[in-house]
Amino acid sequence: MLRLPILTVLMVLVASFIFLRKGRHSLTIPAGEGCVVPKDWLVSNPHPVTPVEHIRPADQTFLTYPEWFLVHSPAEIADYAHVKTTTTFPYVSHIKQLWQSYSVVYDQIKGSFPFNTGYHIMIWVIGVSTTVEYAMKSLYETIVGRLTNPTHGEVVTDEDKFNARFAQDYVDFIRVSPWYEFDFASRIPALLSGTSFFGTHFLRKCDRKYMLLTELLVKAGYGYLIKLGTKASYDEALPTTAVIIDQLPTAITTGRPGSVSPTKTYADGSALLLLPRYEAFHPAVSALAQQGVTFREIAGNNSALLLTVLAPATWQPASPDFRLVFTQPILTKPGLKRVALVTQVKWLDKTVRFVNEQGVKIEHVYDY
Amino acid sequence: MRLKDKLPLSYLLFTSRGRIHRATYWIVSTFIWSTFYVLHTALHDLVGVWATYFLYPLLVGSLFATATKRLHDANRSGYWLLAVLIPVLGPIWLFYQLGFKKGTPKINTFGTVPDEAADYFKNDTGQLIPNLNTKERIINDVTQLNPVVVAEVFRPLSVDELRERIRSTTGPVSVGGGRFSMGGQTASSHSLHIDMRGLNQVLDFSKDDRTISVQAGIRWCDIQRFIDPHDLSIKIMQTYANFTVGGALSVNCHGRYMGHGPLILAVRSMNIVLADGSLVRASRTENPEVFFGAIGGYNGIGIIVSVELDLEENLAVRREYYKLTRPNYRTYFADSIRDNPEAVFHNGDMYPPSFTNMRAVTWVKTLEKPTVKTRLMPLRESYPLERYFLWAFTETFFGNWRREHIVDPLLYLSKPIHWRNYEAGYDVAELEPRSRTKRTYVLQEYFVPVRHFDEFAGKMSEIFNRYHVNVINVSIRHALPDSGSYLAWAREEVFAFVVYYKQRTSEIAKNEVAIWTRELIDAAVSVGGAYYLPYQAHATSEQFHRAYPNAGKLFALKKKLDPNFRFHNVFWDTYYERL
Repeated sequence: MLRLPILTVLMVLVASFIFLRKGRHSLTIPAGEGCVVPKDWLVSNPHPVTPVEHIRPADQTFLTYPEWFLVHSPAEIADYAHVKTTTTFPYVSHIKQLWQSYSVVYDQIKGSFPFNTGYHIMIWVIGVSTTVEYAMKSLYETIVGRLTNPTHGEVVTDEDKFNARFAQDYVDFIRVSPWYEFDFASRIPALLSGTSFFGTHFLRKCDRKYMLLTELLVKAGYGYLIKLGTKASYDEALPTTAVIIDQLPTAITTGRPGSVSPTKTYADGSALLLLPRYEAFHPAVSALAQQGVTFREIAGNNSALLLTVLAPATWQPASPDFRLVFTQPILTKPGLKRVALVTQVKWLDKTVRFVNEQGVKIEHVYDY
Repeated sequence: MRLKDKLPLSYLLFTSRGRIHRATYWIVSTFIWSTFYVLHTALHDLVGVWATYFLYPLLVGSLFATATKRLHDANRSGYWLLAVLIPVLGPIWLFYQLGFKKGTPKINTFGTVPDEAADYFKNDTGQLIPNLNTKERIINDVTQLNPVVVAEVFRPLSVDELRERIRSTTGPVSVGGGRFSMGGQTASSHSLHIDMRGLNQVLDFSKDDRTISVQAGIRWCDIQRFIDPHDLSIKIMQTYANFTVGGALSVNCHGRYMGHGPLILAVRSMNIVLADGSLVRASRTENPEVFFGAIGGYNGIGIIVSVELDLEENLAVRREYYKLTRPNYRTYFADSIRDNPEAVFHNGDMYPPSFTNMRAVTWVKTLEKPTVKTRLMPLRESYPLERYFLWAFTETFFGNWRREHIVDPLLYLSKPIHWRNYEAGYDVAELEPRSRTKRTYVLQEYFVPVRHFDEFAGKMSEIFNRYHVNVINVSIRHALPDSGSYLAWAREEVFAFVVYYKQRTSEIAKNEVAIWTRELIDAAVSVGGAYYLPYQAHATSEQFHRAYPNAGKLFALKKKLDPNFRFHNVFWDTYYERL
């Protein structure tokens, strides 16, 4: 029976070869080999004006990308789940996009900053967890899901509709809060009571109930553990990002409702603002940029800043104010791509105005 | 041949019978998933999505079959796979059961421990002849070189049944047990073949006197299992434990024991059924001519039905070796091994093709803890490594060189400690090639007085090289003189040259073997030695009588006790003077 190990080794080699070749060049397209950002952009601010409790490391604008990909990806799933069942969602390609983009952003900061151990560990933990989750889902959907999937993948069963709703609620939640705070447990009774046992597509209904129940139970348990772990290893994150702008725009000086009031103003007319962090950061930045404000520091940094935009596949931006880092096709929306740009804090307003003029949507500004 | 042996991979993937180890499960699962991925991708990309659905029955079937086998290993039925329906807990439990839970260490409801054979290798009970409506069967031995059509196979379950059958019939009779002799000593054309393996009881056992009485159809391995719990070991037997006691007595076998010799030295008495159906008890003092004629007498004067054997303490023994050249062996042996009370087993292996380098292997008594888990040798379902080495040594360029300089040095790196019983418990299965139809492994043996060791070794080496004999191994054993059997191969203190070689099965090849065998016999006889009789009967009658000068006495005894020449086999058919 020596034949089996030999055959196994052969098949594993062939399978790995195919797996690694697939989408090697098409899922994440770097703008160039290694670091494409000018080295003088990759420095920490030696004399920040921002108060010390609001300062975050300069390399984190890049390192937050993989973390945010894990918001972009569920967002894509949620959009997809409304039109088609998630059975045919390209989970494995998303795993590849995650690790490929992690590799590209790490290439940019490698050597310019000291190794940010804590952040890398965090990326590995969430990256591996997501990889396992997506791999399991892909496996399950391949061997069970696709056999029960309704024709053309239509969302017809109560369970698939539940899934679409759940996916949307989940992504809306994680845009502003850590994923592990999501109340998975309360969805379980909702799943069981909100869906009929019998009905058309009976097998599909059973299959989805089993799958959703498993997902909710596992995530509830895993989320609880991660919550304990995070509390023990990381400080509670501030919900704000401090920015220093060169001058207060008229909207603020005139005290228009809804605008942010400065925390502190300086003699030269510049001011310290506390903008909302995470999802709400880029709308606030856009609003300020439209009012002609120039940024001096964001979270204490005045150097490279990463932002992603969602643009038509044909969009080829060029400007001295930013550099292209990589692009990723949005697999479930043919014709659309994600473009990662890096600019400097002082040119952020120009870059934002440039993309707005081009009619391209900002996906996220990575505020360290 | 069972599906398991014929198509092992299909058996593994598509039947749910039997058990598999954790390691096998991991390997086969990796194989299934990687193959599925490759085929799925290929069909998806090259043919179309619809084509991939053909893979599902194969995938589900093989996953189900392998998981069931794995559950069997822990003595659980395949229905436990339904646990997967319980969300979360079910899959986790199954993952543990399938991937990590150890199998039951012994035979369970679903079969033997994976890769462990249920029993020692056995020969068949006589092959049927297709489309023949008589009781005729083909009786062959382990080499498959000596097929003989016998009139009927009779398997007695009691001595009385056997005696009755002998008394009530008149035709020729041949007797077989394990049938591991290699020259047709167990069959004769159109004889009544008696299969002794039904007479396999232990009759009496005394732990204090260290003796055991057994029926002759019992195998040595069965005796080992019986006496091992009493910390006793068989005093003299051969290395392989598949053989029946009756067969070993009829050839007066030997092992690798130091300070012993032919099996007759460990026999106290025996009972034998003569040609007229009478039952006679024989020992050195009671009917001594029957005793000395039957042991090593190749069933010429009767059928040995029971025997009383000596036992010894079952000690732990540690393997030691010493590499030396052939001219130094005799002195080394005389000085360090022969009278060493610590030495239990000894053999000296000569490396072909030059036969000048030797490895002397001695197992010495020790009080250390054995390095093996079991007291008796565990049996394996297959011996892929052994089979590979045998093939590589005999069929590849520099095979012998690799063995002497790479493989053996690695194999001898360890210092194993076994029990005396363990070390005498080998299974012939480890020597079995995949097929014996084109080529087969055969044994021969020559006995040479110790003082003529070098002379004979030189002659032997010259003959092997002249005929390009594909020798695997020549193993030297030592034996003290026989106590008087008529066909004694150790009439004085001798070295036994055990030759294991490979031959083709064509008629030309068989004749070639006969030619060099006769030359080797001449070489042995020229130094006052002998050759061993359980192998192919290539020797001329003249050579036989020179090697066994007391054969005439046995022939005379046979004339007296078996006047109608009922007990036949290839040996007697070849050398006995017919009336």
